[in-house]
Formats: sequence, structure tokens, C-alpha cells
Amino acid sequence: MSARPPIVVILTVALAGSVLLRGQIHRAALAAELEPVVYVRSGETLRRFSLGYEGLLADFYWTRAVQYFGRERLAGNSRFERLDALLRATVALDPHLLIAYRFGAIFLAEKPPAGAGRPDEALALIRRGIGANPGYWRLWQDLGFIYYWDLRDYRHAALAFEAGSRQPGAGVWMKTLAASVAAQGGELDTSRLLWTEVLREAGNDTIRRGALEHLGAIKAAQDITRINRALDLFCQQRGHPASQLKDLVQAGILAEQPTDPSGVPYVLGLDGKAALGPGSRINLDLAR
Amino acid sequence: MSRIIPIAVHTFKESVREKVLYSLVLFAILLMAAGILFGTISVGVNEIVLINLGLTAISVFGLLIAIFIGISLVWKELERRTIYNVLSRPVARWEFIIGKYLGLALTLLVNTAMMTAAFYIVLWWEMGRLGAGDLAPLEAIYFILLELALVVGLALLFSTISTPVLSAIFSFSLYLVGNLLDDLRDFGERSGSAAVGLLARGLALILPDFGAFSAISQAAHGQMIPAYRVLSNSLYALLYVTVLVSAAILIFEERELQ
Repeated sequence: MSARPPIVVILTVALAGSVLLRGQIHRAALAAELEPVVYVRSGETLRRFSLGYEGLLADFYWTRAVQYFGRERLAGNSRFERLDALLRATVALDPHLLIAYRFGAIFLAEKPPAGAGRPDEALALIRRGIGANPGYWRLWQDLGFIYYWDLRDYRHAALAFEAGSRQPGAGVWMKTLAASVAAQGGELDTSRLLWTEVLREAGNDTIRRGALEHLGAIKAAQDITRINRALDLFCQQRGHPASQLKDLVQAGILAEQPTDPSGVPYVLGLDGKAALGPGSRINLDLAR
Repeated sequence: MSRIIPIAVHTFKESVREKVLYSLVLFAILLMAAGILFGTISVGVNEIVLINLGLTAISVFGLLIAIFIGISLVWKELERRTIYNVLSRPVARWEFIIGKYLGLALTLLVNTAMMTAAFYIVLWWEMGRLGAGDLAPLEAIYFILLELALVVGLALLFSTISTPVLSAIFSFSLYLVGNLLDDLRDFGERSGSAAVGLLARGLALILPDFGAFSAISQAAHGQMIPAYRVLSNSLYALLYVTVLVSAAILIFEERELQ
């Protein structure tokens, strides 16, 4: 009697069983929602374990940081508890991995839910980067940026831009920025200058998109201020407020119906002030 | 020299017949190519990942080849009793050992050259160009070769006195310790004991310093290595290899062949 038929049956049953079991294991893992763990936090210990391959290990840690940030952000979890540890391990392994300081600081500093809302940790990371890479002026730019944008500390922001402008190869605009922030920190024009430089120098789609969103918000905030002035003028000329923004065009105060940077026309709000129209993709909070 | 070269060539031919060698080289090349995928799941580090992964693959697989072929260099000849054929000819024992060393060193040189070519092809494929700035990895690869020269010396030394398994354990252990010499020195200083401090300092001076050859991270950032470091590492490797091969010769000279 041939052994083939029973072997084929056993093989089929075993294969089906293993597939079913694998599916079960996968579902159980998903249900458990295992939290990512940073087993080794000490950079010095990691360096010892790396046996001279610390560069590759730093790349692994950086990738873990990026993946962790992206996953938490997509899941709507804005705590990012392990982000700082992952970033610190990354730069301890490779103190010259500039991208980890620059992007890492953005991840840490951005307000929740977009980031961890920890500008203090972002500042510490950037300062560590400056210590390890003293001639790299862009870290001073990032430092000034965090002071300006996340902490609204215009004096320290101006000092950081000024210090950066003295580094070899620094953009000439850093001096202008330092002066502008010192003189009129918090003004939308200064913010626009800052984000325009970020956009001009952006070497990455994420940064470019972020800069465009901020510039759009700043432009919309300036547009709204301008339209509100036009509304006041209309009221003075006609003795009654405008009922819609088209009235400003018909009165010759505005040349055309104004639209925001995402192409959606502004509307007149219930309070009689200009506002973003329905469907607008502008986030005015970014300009505040 | 006329008797050393044939032994070296024979050792080289014997090594390249090892199937495991091709598997390791192929795996190293696949790993380098995987660097392209790795770069895409990270942010802003494509080139750095490619260089780090490529050079690490060259180093790790070179290390595996050096240890796994080096440990059986002499042992295999003794086990198969082919050593008697060699030594019955006008070949001195020291010529045999040097020939064996040079043969495996040549194997590693050829393998590393192949992996280097593959590394640059992957780099060119991904980055779309190769410039003067991409020469920095060559210096790191040179340091990897120096490191492998030392590992071959260690494996050869242990091969003359022990079995392949023990030789592999000894070689790999010394490689690990050789990467932690700074910590050994620190440990001695922090111990608070003069004797332990002296012992730790002494060991740190005597044991092979593999940490000195670590330059992959610098290469990934396009930093060139200062000339004095290239010179001092070259001289250190030459002296240490001389020590290891001399010790292997001394042991092999004393060994009774039955």
C-alpha cells in the first residue's frame, strides 16, 4: 500500500492548521496592541553594544523614531512618550546625524496632536546637536525657530538667529531675521519671513508641506485683517455695515471677491467680520 | 618566498572552493541592496543608511569569512594529514604558516573588492551619481581590511593550538573584547585598586584594539580620515599581524606531528 495518500492528507491538514493558527496569533497580537518599548535608553550602553557599527544602529533608532511618531500620530495619540528616548539614543549613537536633531526637534516641539508639544525637550535636543556640531548654523536657525514659534520667546529667538548668523556659511537672511525678530517679534510679517526661508530651504516634502500650510495661514490672517479694514471703510462711507463681501466689490473698495490661499472665497461672519468660507483648507490656528 | 607563494595560492584556491564563501558574499550584496528599501521607510537618511548598511555588511561578512575559514586553516591540514605531504617537501613550518596567512588574506582582499564593487553599484543606482565625496567609504573599507587582517591572524594562531569550534569562540571573544578596550581602561581606573588598574591598562595595551579601525560612521557623513590615523592604524595592524603570525609560527614549530 502506498504511503502517499496519508502523507498528502497529513500535509494538507498540517498546512491548514498552521495557517489558521497563524491567523489566530496575528489577531491576538493586534488585540494586545503591544506598546513599543525602548529597551536600552543609555546611549553609552548602546555604543558599547554596537561594536563599532554605531552608525547603522543610529539609523535603526532614527527609523524607529520616525515610525513611532508616524504611527502614534495616525492613531491620534498625541502623547509620544517614547519619542524623546528614541531621539536621544539616536544622537548618542551618531552625534552627527543632523536630520535627527532637526526633524526630531520639530516632532517634539509641535503642538499636539501634530507633535509632542514638548518644546523644552526639543530645545535640549537642538542644544545637544549644536554641542556636537558647532559649525552647523542651521541648528541655530532651528533653535531660534522653536523659541519664536513654540515658546513665543522673541528675545531668545533673536539671540539664536544672531548667533547662527555668525557661523561660517550662514544665510545672509539670518541677520535680517535676527533684527526683525528683535524689533517686531510676533508680527505676521516676521512670521512670514521665517516660514518663507523654511520653505526656500526645505529639502523634504514634509517640511515643504508644513511651511506652505503656515504661509497659507499667515496670508489668510493678513487677508482677513485687510478685509475687516475694508468693511470698516464701507460702514463709514455708507452708514450701514455690508451684508455680504460682494458689497465691497460693488462699492469699489475691493477689486474682486477675495479668496483664501486654498481658493475658497472668504465670507462675512455672523459677527460682521470676515471669516474663512466653508470648505476652506486653511488652519488659522497655525498663524497664531 | 618561492615556497610561500605556492602555499598562499593553494590556500586561496582552496578557500574559494568553499561554498559557504559564496553564500556569505551573496548575502552581503543582498543586504546592501536592502538598504534601498530601508532608506524609504526612514526620513532624510537614504545615502547615510546605504553607506552604513553597505560598510557594515562588508565588515560583518568579512569577519565571518575570516573566522570560519581561518579557524580551520591549519587544523584541516592536520586532520586530513595533508600537512605531511607539504612538510615532507623542502618547506619550512614557518613558510607554511606565512603561506596560509597570505592565502586567506588574499581571499579576503578579493571578497572585499567584490563587495566594494557591489556597494558602489548600489550607491550609484540609488543616488544616480557618484562624486569625489563618495571616496570616503574607501578609507573605511581600507580600515575594515586592516581589521580583517588582524582577525585572520587571530584565527590562524588559534587554529594551530585548538579545534575549529574553540578557535571560533576564542577569535570572536577577542574581537568583542578588542572593541571594548576603552571600557576596560575605564573599568580599571574606576575600580579604585592600583593592581586592577594596572592589569586593565596592561590588557588594554596588549589586546588587539579593533575599536581603532571603526570609521564607518565617519564615512557615512562623508568625513575623510586624517592621514596620521591612516598611517598609525596601518603600522599598528602590520605590527600586530607580525606578532600573531610569529606566535603561530613559534607554536607550530614546537608542535609534535604524529
